[in-house]
Amino acid sequence: MKLTRHQMQDLALGIIGILLFLIGWEMIGYYKLAGLTWPRFSTVMAYLFDPSRRGLFGRAMASSFSMILGGYVLGFVIGLGAAMLSYLVKPLQPGVDRLASTINAIPPIALAPLFIVLLSRDVTGMAIATINVFFVIYVAATSGLERSRQNHRDLFAVLGASRVKRLIRLDLPAALPSIVSGMKYATPAAFIGAILGEWFGASRGLGLLMVSAMQNFQIPLLWSAVFIASAASLIVFGLMSLLERFVHGRFS
Amino acid sequence: MTHRSIGQRSIGFLGKYWGIIGVLLLWQGWIWVKDLNAIVMPQPFDVVKDLVTHPGIYISNAALTLTLAALGLVLGMALGTLIAVLAWTSRLLSGVLIPLGLIFSSVPVVALIPILARLLGYDVKTVLAIVVIISFFPAFVFTSAGLRALPAGSDDLFRVFGASPWQRFVRLVLPSAVPSWMIALRLSAPPAVLSAMVAEFLMGTSGLGYMFRQSAADFQTDRAFGTSVVATAISVLCFTLATLAERRVNARWS
Repeated sequence: MKLTRHQMQDLALGIIGILLFLIGWEMIGYYKLAGLTWPRFSTVMAYLFDPSRRGLFGRAMASSFSMILGGYVLGFVIGLGAAMLSYLVKPLQPGVDRLASTINAIPPIALAPLFIVLLSRDVTGMAIATINVFFVIYVAATSGLERSRQNHRDLFAVLGASRVKRLIRLDLPAALPSIVSGMKYATPAAFIGAILGEWFGASRGLGLLMVSAMQNFQIPLLWSAVFIASAASLIVFGLMSLLERFVHGRFS
Repeated sequence: MTHRSIGQRSIGFLGKYWGIIGVLLLWQGWIWVKDLNAIVMPQPFDVVKDLVTHPGIYISNAALTLTLAALGLVLGMALGTLIAVLAWTSRLLSGVLIPLGLIFSSVPVVALIPILARLLGYDVKTVLAIVVIISFFPAFVFTSAGLRALPAGSDDLFRVFGASPWQRFVRLVLPSAVPSWMIALRLSAPPAVLSAMVAEFLMGTSGLGYMFRQSAADFQTDRAFGTSVVATAISVLCFTLATLAERRVNARWS
């Protein structure tokens, strides 16, 4: 991949921006401009990469990331399934639309107790992540499925293809760019869902670390846990953006 | 105008709301089958009863949350727009700021709430600050994109007519950012309510989030569920209003 001069400049400026941000973080911590609750960047990194804490963070990450992944996959399957169902059986669509947007509007702090009753404390985060991802994927897939060209549809009709066959051969490939964009925006949604869910009494995970560190004034631990969650979300988001670029180049 | 019969209307209603009605029936059925205690899970009827018999407490708390969310949304969007305009004036500034804005809007900002709570203290001020921060990033990112997405050829036209930079900015660049600005509003409105509630839940002394925590702690589950019904209604309302506003503005603008 060759970069133009302009892109090179953008990249350089972006890196400078990130460096300035980190230096600012370090300076505020060093001069204690924001009080004792703002640690230096280097303090957080030293805390984070201390070998003695590898087990602690490793366990929390394993637990949170498996919940996030589980919620992501489940939400993706349900969201795409619902979109395909309401596409094949059109009269169902308004009802599914309303249900999906209502469920999405229920605040997660109200859902969490419900899931704790119905499921268990430890999968509450996964359930909320599932709902968040479901909504994004459902919206992206329903709008994407409408995107195939009319003349292609006519061709399928003339050749006597069934609705299911048209969905698989024509409409799904046409919806792919939209679905992949949905997958990208579902990433932070999955992280938020899982972490929020863990705030309500999970027995392990990054969310639990955050809340207990907040209550016990363990500032480096608090910042480390937030840093891990943010960095992980960012990395996945970046990978999804690459995938998106590839799919958009190939299918649209 | 056509007059639709009651039968057609109810079919139309069922077509839109069968999913929600189904969930309510499932909820009631689940309680009957499992014979659940009202402390574990209230019946839909009890929730409605509490909503109808104690409207005052719901309205006052909802008004508080809504005020905080709206104020935070306005401040956050104003700040985001201002910084986006500042970044637009200089290539250096935009090159430095826009990647940071993108990074933060792809990070789960809600996860920052515990840090902000520790930094700013456990009160309403912090709740407001959280809503401001949550609405800042979409406003910044979308306004920045909008300020750059000028209609094709319009920029040359302004140059040919010798418009001053200020005229160009006010007459061309700002108006062309309005549609993206409306997208930011639609995207930020529900999270503003959500984050206000989460913040109130974690550290508030009033508002819907706090009310939810209190009633859940006192095992008043009908009230806790009532709170989530009210919160859901507010969130749906905000989203609908923002979508309507977006549609109207876009219809006038393009």
